[in-house]
Order: sequence, then C-alpha cells, then structure tokens
Amino acid sequence: MFASAPSRTATPAELATAIRPTAPAATRLLPVVDPLRTLFPDGALRRGATVVVAGTPGMGATSLGLVLLAATSSTGHWGAVVGLDDPGVVAMAELGVDLRRVVFVPRPRGMWAAVVAELLEGVDVVVVRPPARVAHTAARRLLARARDRAVVLVVLVEHRDDWPTPPDVTLELTDAAWHATGRLVARRVDVRATGRRVVGRPRRASLWLPEVQGAVTAVG
Amino acid sequence: MVRLVVAWCPSLSREGPQGEEPRRFADVLDAATELAPFARPVRLGVLAIPSKGPSRFFGGEAAFVELLERTIAPLLGEAGHVRAGVADGLFAAVLAARASVLVPAGATPEFLAPWSIATLRAPDLAATCERLGLRTLGRFARLEEARVLERFGLDAVRCHRVARGVDGELPGLRDHAALRRLDEVRRRDRPRDVQRGFFGEHAGADARAAAAAQRLERQLGVGAVSVARLGGGRAPDDRAALVPWGSADVERPGRDHVAPWPGRLPAPSPSSVPSRTLSVALLDVHGARVTVGASGLLSAQPVRLEFEPGRGRGVAAHCGPWPMAERWWGVSRRRAHLQVLCDDGLAVLLRAERSRWWLTGIYD
Repeated sequence: MFASAPSRTATPAELATAIRPTAPAATRLLPVVDPLRTLFPDGALRRGATVVVAGTPGMGATSLGLVLLAATSSTGHWGAVVGLDDPGVVAMAELGVDLRRVVFVPRPRGMWAAVVAELLEGVDVVVVRPPARVAHTAARRLLARARDRAVVLVVLVEHRDDWPTPPDVTLELTDAAWHATGRLVARRVDVRATGRRVVGRPRRASLWLPEVQGAVTAVG
Repeated sequence: MVRLVVAWCPSLSREGPQGEEPRRFADVLDAATELAPFARPVRLGVLAIPSKGPSRFFGGEAAFVELLERTIAPLLGEAGHVRAGVADGLFAAVLAARASVLVPAGATPEFLAPWSIATLRAPDLAATCERLGLRTLGRFARLEEARVLERFGLDAVRCHRVARGVDGELPGLRDHAALRRLDEVRRRDRPRDVQRGFFGEHAGADARAAAAAQRLERQLGVGAVSVARLGGGRAPDDRAALVPWGSADVERPGRDHVAPWPGRLPAPSPSSVPSRTLSVALLDVHGARVTVGASGLLSAQPVRLEFEPGRGRGVAAHCGPWPMAERWWGVSRRRAHLQVLCDDGLAVLLRAERSRWWLTGIYD
C-alpha cells in the first residue's frame, strides 16, 4: 500500500532531502558559450559541479576559466573570481563577461578556502586559483559545499594533479599556439575534457581563445 | 555659451502606443554618436552635439549638418524627416533646428528676436507678456533685467537671459523622463533572457551576492572585495580598474569607454594585467638592453626576455613597438608597447617607459 513502510521515523537529514525543492533538469544547468558546449556532457554547466581547468602559464587556462563566466553573467547569474591577482578586466569584457555581476577577491591572503566557502553562499559560479598546495580536506569540504549550495566551482591549476580530489569535469589545455600577423591576432588551443561525468572517450575541442575580437570561437 | 548642432526628428518626438519611437530614436542616437562622440539626447526626437569638433573635422558647420541629416534620414522611414540647425546655446539651437537654419556665431539674439514669447514654455509669463503687448522674444529681451526681476521674479529672469541669448538652458528644455525612458528601452533591448525568481523578480540573486560580499568585507577588511569598472583609454591598464565593493566610484559613469580612442591597442587584450609595476629586461644577441629610439623603432632584435636577472626565456617573435605620446598639453606621457612571444608559448605585453621595460600584461 505504501511505497515505503513507515516503520521508523525519518532522520533530520532525510527530512531535509525530502523537503528540498525539486527543480526540473533545465534549471539545474547553467549556460556556457556555444563553442564550449561540446566539452560538457549536458552541453552546459551542471549546478553543484566542480570543473578543474589545467594548463601551464601562457596556454590560456585563465581565459578558459573566465570564459565560463560569460554566458552565466549575461543571463543574470552572479560570478566571483578569487585569487587571480591581476585579472585582465578588458579581456574579460571581450570574452563576453558582464562585469556588473562579477565580484573580485584578488588577494584573499591565505584565507582563500574561507573566502570561497563564503562566496558559495552568494553567487552561482566561483572561479578560484588556489595557492600551490591544496590540502585534501579543504578541497573535499569545498566540493561538498558547492554541491550542497548548487554552485559551480571552477578551479584554475597548472597541472590536473594539483587539485587533490577528482572533479566532475577536468578541462585540460593540451596545445596552444599563437597566430601573429603584425600583432597577436588569435590563439588556437586544444582542450580535452575528462572526468567522472564524461563517459567513454574524452571530449575534445579546438578553439580560438581568444579570437581576433578577444572572444572565443570554435576552429573551423 | 556652447555652440550646438541640434537635429530634430518630428516623427519621433512623441511615443505612440507601439513604443516604436524611443527605439528608433535610440538608433538615430547611435548613428549620430558614430559621427560625433558627444551626441546627447535632449528629449525624444531631439539630439544635440557640440559643434566645434565635428564641424572642424568634417569641413565646416554646413558640411557637418548636411552629413548629419543624410545619416539620420534613412533611419526614419518614409514618413519621417529630420531637420538640423546650429546656434549658440541649447534653446536657440533647438529653434534653429525647427527652422533649419545655421545661425552665424554671435547672431543668436537677432535670430531669437522674432520668435513668439510662447516658445519659452512659461505659460504664466507668456500670458502676462501678451497682455502687455510683448509678443516676441525680442520685445521681452529689451526689458531691463532688474525690472523683470522685480516684476516677475527669478524664474522670469532665467527666461529673460535665454531670450537675450545670454544663456541657453531652460528648466523644461531637457525632458528627463523621456531620457530615462530612452535608457530603459536601450537596456531592455540588450539582454535577452535574464534569470528570474519565482514571481518574476530578479532582485533575489543581486541581494544574495551583495550580502556575501558584505560578509567578506567584514572579515577581510574594506577594499578586499572589488568590482570592475571599464573606462576610456588606450592601453589595457588604463581602461580598467578594480574599485572597492560599494564605493561611489562604481555608480559614477567613468570616461565613456565606447567613445573612440584612436591608437588604442586592439583586441585581444591580455587576460592578466599586473597591478604592480614589474620591471623586466629585454636583451639582444650580445646581451645588451634593447631600447626604443626616438623614431619609435627597436635598437636591436630582442632574443631574450628576463623577468629576474639570469632567469629568462628566449624570444620567439615580437610585434610592435607601437609608440604612444599622450597628454602633450599637460603631464606628458611617452611610452611604447611591444608584444613578445616567448619560445615556450607564453605571450606578454611589455611597455617601454622612462627607458625601461615594464610588464603590462600576460596573455594566459
């Protein structure tokens, strides 16, 4: 008669999951700009997911991380950028980020994990460049918090192993080359997406990041 | 008084039930801004441009007015037409546009004299003056200012100064409600689908973000949380600034960043712009420092870039330099920018200033 026999009283945790508002799948996704869609299993950022962006300096990890804010900020979602000492604000505008909905904490002074935890309460996407060594416990705590608050956490690192816990999606920059004619015109980058949620072969994309106007487009 | 070019599109001066007019006027305004960056709306269907710069650039006031009319006319459709005129001060310039005349410099009082007193948009004053037989601005202007003050009060003195051609601004001349409406139309046309709350409100996300920022500011101190502001300028470090969260600086519109800045460094811009000045060394084959000469050329081919003495990277390619001499009228600033592509793929933007190289941007 009952789907589950009411043999015992529910624990508070079970009650909390039961009364958590359910939302259709579409609202649990945050948009990404078109050229990056093929990299994500849902064609979008899943709320609560962690994305690690890995690339050595100069390959474009900063640009790739910041461009994840473009589609979200222009559709009214707030974003935060933590630990990027000197974000190129003009470049962000060229990438399509709506700067009115982005807060910056350039120098969290050793409290980066606390700052990220605080921002997970208030914005929809947090882009963070953690210091060189990240403790396993701190990373796990942030992951759990992001999942609980349904916020996308984007972590910028040099190498994918710098982030101690396995993320939902890892975007690795495998190749980057500048195209220059009289000035730096565009950079072609190859991105490989792997992760828990990516089933089968890794997804790949070749992008102009930035392209001649400073935005991102697919190659070809 | 500033000499103004005013363009008047009668078909757009009243908003119809479709709300088409403000949108179309916004297009007209954009087209005028393309010609002259300081074009500003006065009311629906009327825009004003300081005449000095554009008329010098386009070869005289008559040429500029003709060009303006030719630019705007195609945007108005069949039914609409545009009229433009030039005079000293906004009030006279609007009348000049209505009459399509170019009033020569200094002839504004003579131009104003035959117009009806009703053009001042002060009904009480107009009624009284009509009764006194002062039907035109010229007759009204001939009254003594002291007599006007004692008989009509301070508001009438303002009208009197306008009628004499001494002042150009009248209280009702700029229609602020219409301009707010215009801003609203432009803003509504730009973003497409903004996240809404359950009841269609969109303040929830903003309030949540503001609360988080305030909590952080309490923890870290004022200035730790910042927002970005774009302004005018040529180099990426001039164009953008991070200002503390909640500072009045954000509200104040900065220098117009859509205005043209000739010589601005083109996109793409570096994704990291050091806020501290960082001196670097650019060396040639013999290990000597590369400099930018007075002619704006490099003294030698750079082959090595050193962030610290002894630790450096090879230079694979370089683009530039692009010299910039600014503010010759004040604190002058001479600098040159150079893009350097290192052999490990790192691209940086360098600036030569005061005979040293500074790191201005990293393309990451």
